Amino acid sequence: MSERLDAITVEVVNQSVAGIVQEMQNALFATGYSTVIRESHDASGAIMTADGRVIAQHTVLPIHLGAFPACVEGLLRRYSLDEMAPGDAFVVNHPYLGGSPHASDMAIITPIFVDGTIFGFAGSMAHKPDIGGLAPGSNSGASRELFHDGLMVPPVRFWAAGVLIREVEAIIEANTRTPELVVGDLRGQVGATFLAADRVQRLCARLGRATVLAAAERLFDVTAERIRSVIRSWPDGEYAGEATLHNDGVEDGRPVHARVRVRIEGDRLHADFSESSDQTAGPYNIRPDLVRAVTYYVLKCLAGPDLPSNHGLAMVVDTVFRDGSVLSPRSPAPVNTYIAMALVTTEALFDALANAVPGARIAHSSHGGALVTGTLSHFLPGRGAPLVMYEILAGAMGARPNSDGVSATSVHVRNAAITSIEILETEFPVEVVRFDLAADSGGPGRWRGGLGLVREYRALGRSRRVARGGRELTPPPGRDGGLPGRSSRVVLNPRTDRERPVTARDGNVELEAGDVIRYELGGGGGFGDPLARPAAEVLADVHEGYVTPGAARADYAVVVVADGLAWRIDEAATAALRARPG
Amino acid sequence: MSRYRLTIDTGGTFSDLVLHDGATGALRVLKVPSTPDDPSRAVREGIEMLAADGVDPAQIGFFFHGTTVATNALLMERGARVGLAVTEGFRGIAEAMEQSRPFGRTIFDLGFTKPPLLAPESRTAEIGERVGARGQVLRELDLASIDAAIARFEAEQVEAVAICFLFSFMNGDHEQVVRDRLRAAHPEWWVSASSDLLPQIREYFRLSTTVINAYVSPVLGRYVNQLERILDEHGVAPGRRFTMQSNGGSTPFGSTSKTAVGTILSGPAGGVTASIALAAAAGDESIITFDMGGTSCDVALIQGGVPAMTTHGKVAGRDVALPMLDINTVSAGGGTLATVDAHGALHLGPESAGAVPGPVCYGRGGTIPSVTDADVVLGYLNPVALLGGALAIDAAAAERSIRERVAEPLGVDLWRAATGIVRVVNVTMAEAIKAISTNRGHDVRGFTLVPFGGAGPVHACQIAVDLGIRTVLVPRTPGVFSAQGLMLSTVKHDHVRSRLEPLLGLAEADVNARFQALLAEADAGLADDGFVPADRQLRPLLELRYAGQGYELAVPVTLPLGPGDLDRCRERFDDLHARQHGHAAPDQPVEVVNYRVEAIGLVPPVTVPDPAPATEPVESALAGHRPVLFPSLGDRPVDVPVYERARLLPGHAFAGPAIVEQYDATTVVCPEQDVTVDARGNLVVTLREVPA
Repeated sequence: MSERLDAITVEVVNQSVAGIVQEMQNALFATGYSTVIRESHDASGAIMTADGRVIAQHTVLPIHLGAFPACVEGLLRRYSLDEMAPGDAFVVNHPYLGGSPHASDMAIITPIFVDGTIFGFAGSMAHKPDIGGLAPGSNSGASRELFHDGLMVPPVRFWAAGVLIREVEAIIEANTRTPELVVGDLRGQVGATFLAADRVQRLCARLGRATVLAAAERLFDVTAERIRSVIRSWPDGEYAGEATLHNDGVEDGRPVHARVRVRIEGDRLHADFSESSDQTAGPYNIRPDLVRAVTYYVLKCLAGPDLPSNHGLAMVVDTVFRDGSVLSPRSPAPVNTYIAMALVTTEALFDALANAVPGARIAHSSHGGALVTGTLSHFLPGRGAPLVMYEILAGAMGARPNSDGVSATSVHVRNAAITSIEILETEFPVEVVRFDLAADSGGPGRWRGGLGLVREYRALGRSRRVARGGRELTPPPGRDGGLPGRSSRVVLNPRTDRERPVTARDGNVELEAGDVIRYELGGGGGFGDPLARPAAEVLADVHEGYVTPGAARADYAVVVVADGLAWRIDEAATAALRARPG
Repeated sequence: MSRYRLTIDTGGTFSDLVLHDGATGALRVLKVPSTPDDPSRAVREGIEMLAADGVDPAQIGFFFHGTTVATNALLMERGARVGLAVTEGFRGIAEAMEQSRPFGRTIFDLGFTKPPLLAPESRTAEIGERVGARGQVLRELDLASIDAAIARFEAEQVEAVAICFLFSFMNGDHEQVVRDRLRAAHPEWWVSASSDLLPQIREYFRLSTTVINAYVSPVLGRYVNQLERILDEHGVAPGRRFTMQSNGGSTPFGSTSKTAVGTILSGPAGGVTASIALAAAAGDESIITFDMGGTSCDVALIQGGVPAMTTHGKVAGRDVALPMLDINTVSAGGGTLATVDAHGALHLGPESAGAVPGPVCYGRGGTIPSVTDADVVLGYLNPVALLGGALAIDAAAAERSIRERVAEPLGVDLWRAATGIVRVVNVTMAEAIKAISTNRGHDVRGFTLVPFGGAGPVHACQIAVDLGIRTVLVPRTPGVFSAQGLMLSTVKHDHVRSRLEPLLGLAEADVNARFQALLAEADAGLADDGFVPADRQLRPLLELRYAGQGYELAVPVTLPLGPGDLDRCRERFDDLHARQHGHAAPDQPVEVVNYRVEAIGLVPPVTVPDPAPATEPVESALAGHRPVLFPSLGDRPVDVPVYERARLLPGHAFAGPAIVEQYDATTVVCPEQDVTVDARGNLVVTLREVPA
């Protein structure tokens, strides 16, 4: 049974595929074993055409929008469609031979058979707590080549005709420090893709395969057309943007730049990234497919958050990369900390577009993440492999043209949830001794940047912190006169005589029982002149503990004095201070 | 002394009253305009109208109330001034929330903000104390910090205080001491401790729920006191007064204001309760409820007479982690608007015509076509008038708006446009049904669909055909079905303790011991509510997960456990996991996360007499014919019989396509379906067997 293709059928298909990817997402979260999936929600699912164009993806992780097509592309370089059979599922985590952002992100790609031939693919991608490599958690800052990042799996068959290939599972199992979690998570991932395949088959049975595929093409066109109509409203021209990562993973303070020239030409957007820094010796490189996904994210933010996440986003953008640059590295350059450059590239794109699109004018955010926290692995007596505690602490959002930034939140292309302290302490030999916001970390401005959070952990046994590092030395810049947010910091044994800062260059840090490690996440940049922030708002910030009286005076020229348990403004002193030029 | 049972369900537009007369079994239905500024006025008015009509309020033995007072206080941010006490050094829990942005559009919204803190930092006090993961005290309670907290709360003039310390679900002593000291110092403060409300792992969700509870409880408390006065004034029997909860049960007025957060998501609960009773009476215990109103559609799954539950809901971006009915709400209703954008794409919603201006066909100024307008154009709804003639319908206006705003921009004819609107909204609702059924491992075809709400029976039969659902059970009064459900609800409290440990390390005797205190607490709670032992039921559940997983599944157990019972428990968990998530891991260790006891107080059932069986042939119920378009019969309307529901009696049967009209609803029966009227007067719509 088939039906005529019109807007109604297209919308029916749209609603149906949205339901299918939602279902995949629920299945992934509900059955995840590792805290990375079940607490941090670092997993996503998509359905694609037979050539890897995304028909629908549940918008949990925008970055995966570029990863899925690249995985299918890699798969098709290795296998032809007629080598695949119903019930097959393929596994891949190779950033160059497939499209995984880094080895930790393992993808399952499952062909969807309709009427005996391949309709398309269902894909799921989820972060693994460990997949081997130099250090527990796999993402070592000391990585200098891809082979340090962990086990590399090119696209290979993982299930054949509905049956698990035990040999492949055994290889994976033998190459991770957390075999139960990895195998369990993969099992859930395969389940989610089979579920999606089944649902797509039923949809095709109802509407006809040709109709569903034609509707998908139409959905791409409509999405692309909606973006084009927005781009047409932007002034033509070339706009440059830049953002910087503080080091190359080898040498602290040696900056790595993401540079972009965005050219708006009628209804198209060209993004030329070729002026970005050379590829890094350390693991900060990122593959172009993911930079494209970053570009789609930025477009969706500016053209309409309600736009569907499908291939249409890819149709209006041209990208240019320079081979051998940090955004288009040559194999085997390591990529495990790609997310740092993904976020920096996001800021560079907003920076460029701020010249053309009012909505893009936001201060830089603090990116947080495992870049700051690293991975803590705990060595237990009598247990061979350490327990790997992979946690993602968020940064904070920069201020916007008419609102303060958001404190303690995942920003831009990442969206990890925080792990419950009670879960952490129940499952790992660690004690959280502090969880707070960092006062004064938000960049001052007419609108204040969001505040970063502070978390301190006490090791209860021998543990190792594996560092990566990201933007600690480069504070998130403000915009339009707003000041930068405070940088992130990691401190060992704070408030003791053994206190010392830790940076990415320190590499692994060994902790003994009783040692405390403090993570102070940076704040977002401010927007506009801090002196234009009404004194009453500064007072409220002091009252809430977001700004200290000292900073109120130094950054905002507002004099706040204690009044019992509360605070009040010293009007005269404030007026005098604010009147002073400069 | 208790001839009557009265329920009053406060809605956005109307407060629905349903009175059951125990002497005759008759149900009386009344709709009073709601009074949002003070909802108790509508209650008073309703009781006075009944009294004027000869009902002696002193004969009202049971009073059930569905209220939105707490929900509205939260939505409109008009709750109490709340202080918060947390473990010293842990103010970040409330601020960070989940840290991630809600999935979907928010991720791409550069203007996103978190909801403002109900207990801001300035009203947050840090208490020197710390409990560890095994319930051990890591830091003794610092009494001086309690005094400092009291001083801060006094300075901030709080009305209520929430207390949430780390690991208080393992050891609540510190919270209890602080709670008692605060109450002693300020009896007027309304104090809620997380270890009383929700002794469950995951500090943020426990904290959020406790803060919301403190925020809305004083408001609901004042309202309930006012209701008590009104009921007392009218001589309504004291004691048997209940409020509907999000968990599908009700709770006596006395405990309502202690756990006001429990009413926050209770809106759709009445309909689910009514459906369970309806289905049980019809001997069918696997149903999906389908409540379609003007702006949204609520669906819920009930299996074996037990509704699916969840432990997490969100209201206006805030998290509530109490056990509640698992109701899936999608924005699809009669008022959902259809638009075509500049690129020729059709969109249904999320905007709705609402009560004002309402659908175009109501003639109250609406110009954008809605689902209801498409229903009128297709002949599903009466093209002249609804509500027994009280609501005039302008079919020509509906037709014009669909033609001009949907058909012409899409380049299709009127019929295709109208069927398209219905088609798309039906797919959205069908996806909502799949989300709670097929997505969780249930075969939807084995369930009965129970439609109610204004628009439910208009769309339910077509959705049933699309999903392969064999039976649709249309209740006698779909329009006031939710209110009816309140009087059927039993009293329900949840008692839970988190204690994470491997199942393998436990003996049956350990589990029995862990349940001991919970059972006693649950039983005492019911006794306090005034239930005699015969009317108290306790349902113990073990919440289990595979070691390392993040979410639990509840397995019912029978206490005391005997040898081998834990192994059987484990097998039941594997089965449940396989059904719900598509795979099981019998070789993987299992952990206990929570011990839970559902305490149920049985309220005597109401009986409504069945209608007299039909004596006349079904043709006697035929009101006429009208043109109706069914896509499976072609792309033009065909003449279809229209029946009058009031004259359809037990024993009547007829074949679809057909329309059944009644005062509060219209049922659209598809060509693929047949209808019989069962002994209780329900319409039983079944999918006709097609020879293979």
